[in-house]
Amino acid sequence: MKNVQFIFLIITLTFSAESLAGKIIRVGASEEVTRIKEAIALALPGDTVLVQPGVYREGNIIIQKSIALIGEGYPVLDGENKYEILTVHTTNAIIKGLRFIDTGIGSIEDKAAIKILDSKNIRVLNNQFENTFFGIYLANSSHIWIENNELKSDAEAEHQIGNGIHLWKCEHITINQNKVRGHRDGIYFEFVTNSLITNNHSEGNMRYGLHFMFSHNDEYRNNTFINNGAGVAVMYTKGVKMINNRFEHNWGSSAYGLLLKDIRDSFVSGNVFVENSVGIFMEGSSRNEFKENEFIKNGYAFKLQASCDDNVIERNNFQQNTFDLVTNGSLVLNRIESNYWDRYEGYDLNRDQVGDVPYRPISMYGMIVERMPTAVLLWRSFLVFLLDRAEKAIPVLTPENLKDNLPSMKAYDFN
Amino acid sequence: MNKIIFFLLLVIFISCKVKPEPLQYGIDACYACKMTLMDEKFGAEMVTRKGKIYKFDDVNCMLGVYHSDFESQQDIAHLLVVNFAKPTQFIDATNSWYLKSDSIRTPMASGIAAFATQEEYSPFKKKWKAILMSWGETNTQFK
Repeated sequence: MKNVQFIFLIITLTFSAESLAGKIIRVGASEEVTRIKEAIALALPGDTVLVQPGVYREGNIIIQKSIALIGEGYPVLDGENKYEILTVHTTNAIIKGLRFIDTGIGSIEDKAAIKILDSKNIRVLNNQFENTFFGIYLANSSHIWIENNELKSDAEAEHQIGNGIHLWKCEHITINQNKVRGHRDGIYFEFVTNSLITNNHSEGNMRYGLHFMFSHNDEYRNNTFINNGAGVAVMYTKGVKMINNRFEHNWGSSAYGLLLKDIRDSFVSGNVFVENSVGIFMEGSSRNEFKENEFIKNGYAFKLQASCDDNVIERNNFQQNTFDLVTNGSLVLNRIESNYWDRYEGYDLNRDQVGDVPYRPISMYGMIVERMPTAVLLWRSFLVFLLDRAEKAIPVLTPENLKDNLPSMKAYDFN
Repeated sequence: MNKIIFFLLLVIFISCKVKPEPLQYGIDACYACKMTLMDEKFGAEMVTRKGKIYKFDDVNCMLGVYHSDFESQQDIAHLLVVNFAKPTQFIDATNSWYLKSDSIRTPMASGIAAFATQEEYSPFKKKWKAILMSWGETNTQFK
């Protein structure tokens, strides 16, 4: 009896293994199936739809099955400036190696090249996007993996373009090694938790390279944000880790390398801020740590608004910035310690590499410009130089307590 | 002579009137949340009697400032919101219809869209299964 059971088990396993492998349905001009929609209709869960090179104009394609949609040699899915191209609503699917072009533009509807709704366990790999309104749009989904995609758009007006990778109410998402260019926000997070953004390159987007809103406990590492309209914004969020990112060349009147507003318990470390109008602008934020960051050649390295408290700014390098630090009040509730300031003119008699006199990173003129932006015209004039010197000797305008008691004599080497 | 004086007075009075300024999407930043304005269907503006203009990207940003002690409410000359049905067009905030629904994705997640007339809001109300509110009710949401 046992033997019979065993044999039965083996037979079942063999057959089920065969059905698990799934079949491959080829789509192409010279194949039996010529349309992707047709192939998806034929496919059973576990099957692969293999798309051959060519241009496919099929309007809105909908996937509601657990299948893999894979392109060979980047077949083109054309939205003809009218349609959303691919809508996904399923669990366990793969979308790989496709090229999406020209989605429709909707002012009320958010049309996307790939829209993933109420889904789980989807992988979006190695795709290309050109002139799409929204590139990859996720809503109400979890466990999604977005890797190696390239998104490029060249709309001229901001409102005619959506976000590159747009997430709304999602959790457990990985976004790795994508390139986003020319969208409204490169990567947009709203109500997204426990997610990871790594090794992405976001350049030349109209507004923010990366935009976080109400998204807790996320982490972004090793990303590069260059030349975006207003830099990177992280807002109304707690528990974000921002590590080893590069914020470069975000110039403009309301542009920031990193804009932090209402942030709690976050960690900013190992980042490089180069040539931004404002390296970091922080408002209404508490209990954040800024460690081992480099601020180089920024207009303002750090704008720390008086509404921030309990933040720690420690062991950072401040080099060649026009203003190292400015604030808008006299109350200081943050700890600023052991940083390297290239403007420090103190001495170190006991040679412990720590300056013997405190450094006051706020220049008086920085305070004046903060109150009256047009006064920046006189910056670097002789009179301003004299005023700054006088203020250093007898502080009147600058907050007395805002100082680094242990300034480093040497720049830290973080590499 | 009288005519000239009259004309001068006219010019003076006209130039004294505080006027709202159109929102420049992609350039202006919201006064409250610092975000650059992008979505032409949403936006708000507050103008004081002295002519100071505050721009906002979402109704809740404006209400936050409006209800703070930042500017006294008597000193406000204009409260304006953008008509959802006619993007970029301003309407009087105190005299508009508001729809609230989770399906409305606004820049600061207020979930509120403004409309000038019943004809404009009714199709959207059905589509979003939204709640209709007046200015007063909208205020109580974000006090």
